[in-house]
Amino acid sequence: MPRDNVARGASDALVRLFHVSKSYLAGSFALRDINLELGRGEFALLTGPSGAGKTTLLRLIFGAERPSEGQLLVLGRNISRVGGHSVAPLRRRIGVVFQDFKLLPRHTVEQNVGIALDVMGVPAREKRARVFAMLKRVGLEARRAHHPLSLSGGEQQRLAIARALVNRPQLLLADEPTGNLDPDLSIEIMELIAAFASSGATVLVATHDHGLLRRYGRRVLRLEAGELVDDGVSGAQP
Amino acid sequence: MSLPFAQTALRTALSSMRASPVTSLVAVATIGLCLLLIGAFVLLVANMERLLDHFGEEIRVSVYLSEETDIEAQQQLAARARIAPGVLEVELLTREAALERFRQHQPEHATLFEGFGESPLPASLEILLAPEQRNEQGVAILVESLSGLPGIGELGYGHEWVSGYAHVVSLLYGAAVALCCVLLPATFLIVAGTIRLSLYARRDEIEIVRLIGGSRGFVASPLLLEGITCGACGGLLGLVLLYLCYRLLLPAFEGGLSLLIGTAEPVFLGIGAACGLIAAGALLGLLGATIALLQDELRS
Repeated sequence: MPRDNVARGASDALVRLFHVSKSYLAGSFALRDINLELGRGEFALLTGPSGAGKTTLLRLIFGAERPSEGQLLVLGRNISRVGGHSVAPLRRRIGVVFQDFKLLPRHTVEQNVGIALDVMGVPAREKRARVFAMLKRVGLEARRAHHPLSLSGGEQQRLAIARALVNRPQLLLADEPTGNLDPDLSIEIMELIAAFASSGATVLVATHDHGLLRRYGRRVLRLEAGELVDDGVSGAQP
Repeated sequence: MSLPFAQTALRTALSSMRASPVTSLVAVATIGLCLLLIGAFVLLVANMERLLDHFGEEIRVSVYLSEETDIEAQQQLAARARIAPGVLEVELLTREAALERFRQHQPEHATLFEGFGESPLPASLEILLAPEQRNEQGVAILVESLSGLPGIGELGYGHEWVSGYAHVVSLLYGAAVALCCVLLPATFLIVAGTIRLSLYARRDEIEIVRLIGGSRGFVASPLLLEGITCGACGGLLGLVLLYLCYRLLLPAFEGGLSLLIGTAEPVFLGIGAACGLIAAGALLGLLGATIALLQDELRS
């Protein structure tokens, strides 16, 4: 059974959902009555079968969609009420790794990462240094002048992560970040994310990879048919 | 707009133009042709206005004196004219002096008055107005102050001709405005269409930038810059075409042009007007891009 997250550590929560539902058609819910909190520095995995509502939940949290019902607070802002112009500043504080990467094909690797700093108005010199450091961290510094389409799937995934992390977000959302990768590469990507989580950021990763759930599942949220059916601790390795 | 923001916007705008060169070229050519036509009218009107100003400098009122005025009366009338409002200079032209001047100015007709015992031409006062009075109102004030004085005959100042010419200039000016009214909206729409195509081509990219926190200004600025760049290039193209037409076609139309600007040497647009044409192109591009963005925003 889902535990009462709303009562737990409310002052520390970066993400709070109060009876949040999302429906696209009347009577048909993609998410139904979700109550959830993610505390500061928490690393949680979101799992469930395809179509369970994982991506919808992530999209609600970074303001790509609005809840049909309920209240959703992210980094102190009520997403349900925030105006269109206020969503952009909020998104700059959230790093998102998209399932389909969403890389800019006409931009180089360096520019793809740099754009996350461009939207924040970071000066050019500082941007170059931060982008280079981040590319080094994900092992893409030698590929910085290449375009995304010339990269392998794993490299594109690392590039997407680099872009999500380069602006040092308070909250990282990752949607199936290891979806199409082999097990070794999956571990490599998750290690990157875990290392970021250990720096004090809140991380929510959507995955249906049981191996990852066992290895990293300190807190596992399970969605089924749009409902949060479980919120507990998996057999995470220390 | 901060420097990194501007750099990114400019880089994105240029990369977008490079990615769809045909569309960008169509926008540049459209703006260029539109501004060529408008520029041609501006050039013609500017030259005619210049001639009008020249006429103004040359305006002299001739006051013909009646035959019975003797030299003393003529000098008194000249003194009276010197203190009339707006008068800068008065020259008394006796009958003999008038005949002499005629012979000098019209040597081919010099024999016309041979055989006359004395000059058949009337004495006159040639009055030059002060620069600020060289207009319809200034002439009217002078005419009113001199009319009816004993010894004053006919007054001539070629005013009707100058007024007629000014009327033609204002008609051409009106035609240029009408041309702008027809061409500018059409150009706006073509530029807006170009930017809209660019928007569609970059839709995915724009969506990604929005998802990672790009503000409305961050997304819109490359498109506005693209519009401004296309517009300024179009303005420059229009200016270059206008100059080429001016240099290459002017000899062919010199006869017809002399009807409009007389013997005056035609001049090309000054640096201010040339920069104005480029700026007009940039403004066209900016407005076209703004229309496209507003349409897109309304649609979404």
